[in-house]
Amino acid sequence: MAGSIVTEDLDRLVHERIRLGIVSALAAEDGMSFADLKHLLKTTDGNLSVHARKLEEAGYIKVSKGFEDRKPRTEYRLTARGRRALESYLEQMEAILSEARDALERS
Amino acid sequence: MTAPTHEDRENAKETLAYIRRTMESASTFTAVSGWGLVAVGAVGLLAAWLAWSGNRDADLRVWIPAAVVSVVLGIAFNVAKARRTEVPIWSGAIRRLAWVMTPTLAVGALLTFAVAAEGAWALLPGTWLAIYGAGVIAGAEFSVRAIRWMGVMFLALGAVALFRPEFGLELLAAGFGGVHVVIGLDIVFRHGG
Repeated sequence: MAGSIVTEDLDRLVHERIRLGIVSALAAEDGMSFADLKHLLKTTDGNLSVHARKLEEAGYIKVSKGFEDRKPRTEYRLTARGRRALESYLEQMEAILSEARDALERS
Repeated sequence: MTAPTHEDRENAKETLAYIRRTMESASTFTAVSGWGLVAVGAVGLLAAWLAWSGNRDADLRVWIPAAVVSVVLGIAFNVAKARRTEVPIWSGAIRRLAWVMTPTLAVGALLTFAVAAEGAWALLPGTWLAIYGAGVIAGAEFSVRAIRWMGVMFLALGAVALFRPEFGLELLAAGFGGVHVVIGLDIVFRHGG
């Protein structure tokens, strides 16, 4: 496996940093608000909503809009599909590391 | 088949660390226990009442035991919430919070004895409120925003108490009693317990 192919195989949807952050955060804490995610990932409103929309379109996360104290509250949840995507991404990362370790041992 | 490049390996390592960090902060984000703050607030109100009936605002015989009980209650409630939400108790955010709060409380204790030894009792309420506020603001970096506001309120009350010591007891009651209860209830309703 060449270096370039290693990274080309990755799920582009999850690979991007903010999107990976959203999926990881939701895997740990199911149901986070827009404001909490923004604070956690230290990003801007625009950036977060663009990336969240991409994940929503892919069916990785589910968005629900409601009200809290008469203020709109957007809540995000990870779907089963999103969880699987994160799991296979993690496996790919671990595979890269273990292949590298094998190569080290062979050399 | 060639092995992943050195760069691939470094990227993978860094990515895994990022995922772990993000998951840790997400799960401990709301780990602070709202009911714990309400309980600490109740202790604050009780202590203020005891000090008032004893006619000494900064009565150390009241406030030192109250502080000890509050720290114990705070730890107990947070551990219980971490267990309930299946968050590792000694996770990243909690560890950082402990690193912030321990020196803060230690400085508070040191100043208390130094100020009391000088007989400047009137300065104690403001000292306690302001130091606690500063610690909470620093610790709030790793938690929900309500906690940061709580710190700001304590700092403001402390500033007032330092320059208007005649309201020391009222401000202590408002801070260690009122603010804890209000922010605690806010966390209970917004972040579940």
